[in-house]
Amino acid sequence: MIQLEQVKKIFPQTTVPAVDEITFSINKGNICVFVGPSGCGKTTILRMINRLVEPTSGNIYIDGENILHVNSDELRRRIGYVIQQVGLLPHRTIEQNVGLVPRLLKWPEARIKARVMELLEVVGLDPSETAWKYPYQLSGGQMQRVGVARALAADPPIMLMDEPFGAVDPIVRGRLQDEFLRLQQEVKKTICFVTHDINEALKMGDYIVVMNKGKLVQKGTPMELLSEPANDFVKDLIGDDRGVKLLDLTRAESLMMVPESYPVARDCPCFIDAIQPVKMALEVMMKNDSDVVGVRRGDKVIGTLSWTEIKKHIHRISGD
Amino acid sequence: MEVIRDVFLFIFNNSNRILEYTVNHLSLVLTVLAFSLVLWISVGLIISKYDRFATSVIGLANILFVIPSISLFGLFVTIPQLGLGRKSAALALILYAMMPLVRNVYRGLKSVDKSVIDAGRGMGMSTTQILYQIQIPMAWPVVFAGIRVAVVMITGMATVATFIGERNIGRLIHHGITRGNAEMIIAGALVVSLIALFLDYLMGLLEKRVTSPGLRHSSENY
Amino acid sequence: MNFEFERFVIAMFDRAPPYILEHMQLVLIPLAIATAIAFPVGVLLTRARYRRYSGRVMGIFNTGQTIPPLAVIAVFFPFLGLGYRPAVIALTLYALLPIARNTLAGLAGVPLEVKDAARGMGMTEWQTFRQIEIPLSLPVVMSGIKTSAVLTAGTAALAALVGGKGMGAVIFAGINFFRMELILAGTIYIGLIALFLDRVLSFIEARMTPSYMK
Ligand SMILES: Nc1ncnc2c1ncn2[C@@H]1O[C@H](COP(=O)(O)OP(=O)(O)O)[C@@H](O)[C@H]1O
Ligand SMILES: [Mg+2]
Repeated sequence: MIQLEQVKKIFPQTTVPAVDEITFSINKGNICVFVGPSGCGKTTILRMINRLVEPTSGNIYIDGENILHVNSDELRRRIGYVIQQVGLLPHRTIEQNVGLVPRLLKWPEARIKARVMELLEVVGLDPSETAWKYPYQLSGGQMQRVGVARALAADPPIMLMDEPFGAVDPIVRGRLQDEFLRLQQEVKKTICFVTHDINEALKMGDYIVVMNKGKLVQKGTPMELLSEPANDFVKDLIGDDRGVKLLDLTRAESLMMVPESYPVARDCPCFIDAIQPVKMALEVMMKNDSDVVGVRRGDKVIGTLSWTEIKKHIHRISGD
Repeated sequence: MEVIRDVFLFIFNNSNRILEYTVNHLSLVLTVLAFSLVLWISVGLIISKYDRFATSVIGLANILFVIPSISLFGLFVTIPQLGLGRKSAALALILYAMMPLVRNVYRGLKSVDKSVIDAGRGMGMSTTQILYQIQIPMAWPVVFAGIRVAVVMITGMATVATFIGERNIGRLIHHGITRGNAEMIIAGALVVSLIALFLDYLMGLLEKRVTSPGLRHSSENY
Repeated sequence: MNFEFERFVIAMFDRAPPYILEHMQLVLIPLAIATAIAFPVGVLLTRARYRRYSGRVMGIFNTGQTIPPLAVIAVFFPFLGLGYRPAVIALTLYALLPIARNTLAGLAGVPLEVKDAARGMGMTEWQTFRQIEIPLSLPVVMSGIKTSAVLTAGTAALAALVGGKGMGAVIFAGINFFRMELILAGTIYIGLIALFLDRVLSFIEARMTPSYMK
């Protein structure tokens, strides 16, 4: 668990705080996303967590321990860090880049080799193709994958990820996000994730912290943000398509009706999975030209979702 | 054609002397290089760490560099503690080597991508580890380019040291001119050029061996 | 240390000054010829048609620079005899590389977008060269000429060996008679000449730079 208490940072020779009295905590195994316009202090927060930047005031605790009481180099070796500019060592091979922290931690060479191969596989790179290459021989997307693999190398319980998928085109970014979320299901790291892209925040975050000019504007789950944006800043950040975005986050099971008699549901012309988003339900309904879709969990049909319910829901959250 | 024949005859007839001069020449170059590398790379490292000295130190190196070599040799000779011979020659050449070495070490270290250093720090590398595992290897191509320039330059300037008593290839040129002996001049110029070109070639080969393939593709090292 | 102030004053004000103009000539003539050769070569090597030769030509220039200055100066003497000419030719060869290298680097450094934009607005190749490439690369080109000037000012001291006169004569006299004052005086004047040329070239550069780029 990571806790920040009234953390404030004023850089030397500046007067306006880059980060102003921020308090929040992140639970183990969660992804917390910091989102806000460029320059709002997101990177500074991450860098205070691994002590690349020392707070002007306030305290930061990891698992209850004040990080000031830990040697900063040792602290950093326990925290994976994916930096905004990737920052691969250009004079080292991919194998050496990924194996960097394990080597700092003096793992046996055989274990490092095995770990690197495993990780390259995990981030979707062909180890035999990639391991011996140098960074300049990779594409932007591949470099970002290596950046993530490098941060994961020593299996740190905590990951700081600063716009890790920023430098690639939207299609590759989407794929990296999906793969990363799948990976997170397995590894269950505690992750601080920085982005300026609200859609990425909504997709990746268990929990979102919205920031503006160093101040915390709102914190909450993606659902909370979408349904109750704290002010106009958050509303603008989310955009005009709040309702539709919400449908993407809402699971079909949460809006479905449990019919009295199962046969009705079974008669539906089309079905979706209970954990799929409502948006997907709309898609399926449109394709099949039906205003109702059956909701399944496994092989069992457990309810129905109708166009009327969805419309009611959108009206409710948009407040009109 | 006759000139060429005469030059080769001269070289053939004086091979012992030329060999002696070559050995002297190379030993001066190597001595100077050894001292210069230790001294100037350290200075380069120091001014990279303490930036406020950088401008004045590099400025001094630049001034030393534009003093004509013959002047510096001549001045040192008139200082009794140094006198005619190797001490003066070596000291002057070491001072000339300051510019390419100090400048390139500084430039090399400063040109290391900040984000890479940041990544290293973020992963828990200590300052020393960052210096030895990131900054020095990444600066190395630029540093090596400086060493290569220094080697070629020292080799060339060493010829001028003949005027203060060094018995090296420069002497063939020097005596050739005073005696109006064309073969001798051309032989001297030829041999010293070959030495310089050979050393440059050698450094070029070495450069390939000591530079990480990951850095080689960006060879803007000046 | 055998330094006598009186001798130094004599060296500074009587012995050395007659060589100033000679030395200037020894620098300016080679510099002018070298610029006249190296600049056009640099320009040609950045044109699309000849760009592929740039590596090879610069390789030749680099090799030339590897050959020690004393060897270059001496080697023309048997063929051309004593005097100005062998010195001027040798110094010219020596001044070529920095100018060619910087012309190449300066022109190659003009962003492609800028040139494309100029062509896209209908500028001819010549207009693009004159109005875009030259002004944008001028600082780099001029710094190459300045480097050459400063290096030539120093190397020209060796010209005295082959009868090329110049400040080198004062310095060599100092070496032969162990007179530090003469060496010092000659060196100071060479330094002043280098500084003066550097300033003059900076002035020319400032005059050539369009006001909106200053
Ligand atoms: N080392 C520093 N020195 C001075 N100001 C800084 C430094 N790092 C960041 N800042 C300032 O702090 C503010 C927040 O920066 P940052 O955390 O990088 O923002 P973000 O990552 O959200 O884009 C910016 O105004 C930035 O200019
Ligand atoms: Mg940032």
